[in-house]
Amino acid sequence: MDLNYTPEQQAFRAEIREWLADNVPEKPLLTLEGEEGFHQHVEWERKLASGNWGMVTWPKQYGGRGLDLIQWLIFEEEYWAAGAPLRANQNGIFLLGPTVMEYGTDEQKARFLTPMANGEVMWAQAWSEPDAGSDMAAITTKAVRDGDHYVITGQKTWSSRASFADWGFGLFRTEEGSKRHKGLSFILFDLNSPGITRRPIRQLHGEPGFAELFFDEVRVPAENMLAGQGEGWNVAMATAGFERGLMLRSPGRFQATAKRLADLYRANEENTSPATREAVTQAWMGTQAYAYNTYSVAAKILAGGKIGAEASLNKIFWSELDRSMNRSAMQLMGAAAELAKFADGSVNQWLDGYIFSLSGPIYAGSNEIQRNIIAERFLGLPRQGAG
Amino acid sequence: MEFLLSDDQLTLAEGVKDYLAGTHGPEVLRRLDEGSNRDPTIWQGLVEMGLPALLVPEDQDGLGLKLLDAALIAAECGRSCLAEPLVDTAFVAVPWLTAKGDIADLAPIVSGEKIVPLAHKINGWVADGDGASLQSVDPLRNLTVAPADATDDPHLLNLGALMSAAQLVGIADAMLEQAVEYAKVRKQFGQPIGAFQAVKHHLATATVALEFAKPVVWRAAQAMDDGIDSAPVHVSHAKLAAGDAALQMAETAIQVHGAMGYTYEVDLHFWMKRSWALIGAWGNRAFHMKRVDGGVIGGSLDIGPAHTFA
Repeated sequence: MDLNYTPEQQAFRAEIREWLADNVPEKPLLTLEGEEGFHQHVEWERKLASGNWGMVTWPKQYGGRGLDLIQWLIFEEEYWAAGAPLRANQNGIFLLGPTVMEYGTDEQKARFLTPMANGEVMWAQAWSEPDAGSDMAAITTKAVRDGDHYVITGQKTWSSRASFADWGFGLFRTEEGSKRHKGLSFILFDLNSPGITRRPIRQLHGEPGFAELFFDEVRVPAENMLAGQGEGWNVAMATAGFERGLMLRSPGRFQATAKRLADLYRANEENTSPATREAVTQAWMGTQAYAYNTYSVAAKILAGGKIGAEASLNKIFWSELDRSMNRSAMQLMGAAAELAKFADGSVNQWLDGYIFSLSGPIYAGSNEIQRNIIAERFLGLPRQGAG
Repeated sequence: MEFLLSDDQLTLAEGVKDYLAGTHGPEVLRRLDEGSNRDPTIWQGLVEMGLPALLVPEDQDGLGLKLLDAALIAAECGRSCLAEPLVDTAFVAVPWLTAKGDIADLAPIVSGEKIVPLAHKINGWVADGDGASLQSVDPLRNLTVAPADATDDPHLLNLGALMSAAQLVGIADAMLEQAVEYAKVRKQFGQPIGAFQAVKHHLATATVALEFAKPVVWRAAQAMDDGIDSAPVHVSHAKLAAGDAALQMAETAIQVHGAMGYTYEVDLHFWMKRSWALIGAWGNRAFHMKRVDGGVIGGSLDIGPAHTFA
């Protein structure tokens, strides 16, 4: 255990801090969930890439800096401390990217990772279907092999970023008559392919942050399949592991929220209760616990370990912590909490934050599913219906 | 920067865990409970393992290890619901006496002849002392009335709070294991109750709180080892996180055990009562919350993403 940064790590922190101070937009961007805001965020991705900060942990040959996970955590800390925008390409860089790194061929890595790190291609996920939500193995959208293509027919939904993104990835049933986890394949597809219809869905806040996707005999080149035909479930589980486990929600983002919450408390101290005061202190404690745990997991991975069912513990912890912090902020704001915009025209970021935090316990595998995973794989309890 | 327990640390803690699992099971707790609560042969076994010497400086014939090493072993003491006053004497008194320069008592501690009852103002009682006896809810704790001249030394308080937090995560681990084992074998409606989601989700929720309390405790131990200014805030954070997780685990474990959990016959009660005792000891929730509050809201601590290890 050594909780001191090396001189090299400190120098790296100073370097990213300086770049962010020079480059982070002074005014907050419009919301990532709307069309104009999405394009502003894509511009920011390209700005990041221009400084070679797109995805610092990736190898240099794919547009990264070849840095380790501790440097990634330092990057993320400075990123959120600087108030930098949300990552428009988070589905790509945090979820698909690590999966391509593990399962992709050299050709696929070169074709998909570099444009991802450079902010040239924005990615949407396409897991859920109308009848396959928490029960993802119930997927029915089929991809039928036809020469050197697959022909996709069916429907995906709750597809984050699909209203505006360029490419998508998801699971498709490639073996007719196959059941559950078998016969599924992981396929990447151009969202502008003929036969794809996007129907944006307005989210709780009114913006089209996700979409339904209709596939009508969409032809996708066979070389867009990750790993082998029928191996999709395992590949998707790896993606879910990255998402829940380490990369999607780095601690810095929540630590920034806890700090803003303490500031908000001090500004509203007369209108509060002891319970809210304790909740503000709890916010710092929760975000710090999450940060220590993330540093610990990163150290274990650097020492050759892997993330397993612990990823589900993480997902429950950060999603419920985020909701709790934003709820406390709403309570602190009192009558002003309902204002979508303040009198000076600025956006009520806490209201946005609270609304967004309500999705956390639902997406990336609902917290009920995570609790089942913890109970069965971490604690070893029997599956439901077991005699 | 490496937030990682070393192989040496884990091996040492594993050794103590195995020793206690083999020599200090629930049947021993019941025997002690029916007798006088203490057993010189158990104490002698701990002395022969060298545990009282763990934190004694090497130039005083000790092992010269760190608070983090001791915290990992304190957690194992919690896991086995150890009744002997090892943690108080070896992991709280020794570093306190050493810091004060009172090295005369270290040799008899190393040899196992001396235990050190700790009288701190914040507690109002002394464990394993020689005053008039008080009855704890924990049948294996020997409490006595505190003397009027009890100290209010903050360093002693921080050591006591840190080691209580460490024991609490071990106690919670043990309660979780007992509840999980019970849920696997107890059948109702034709299946193990652990197959029902209501039971699973209770246990999963308590597990999340426990797993996120552990790194906070290790961080606090390291903060004391490093002697950083903010160490008291980290100790308080650890005491709160471990205490809250242990209390949640105790309430979850009794619920999972059903009516069996409400008996003296099921082992769970020993650990549950130890957790209640340690949650209030060495600064209650309000005391520690106030110290963290002073850092976070009072502004004495740098907070935010760039200050993870402030």
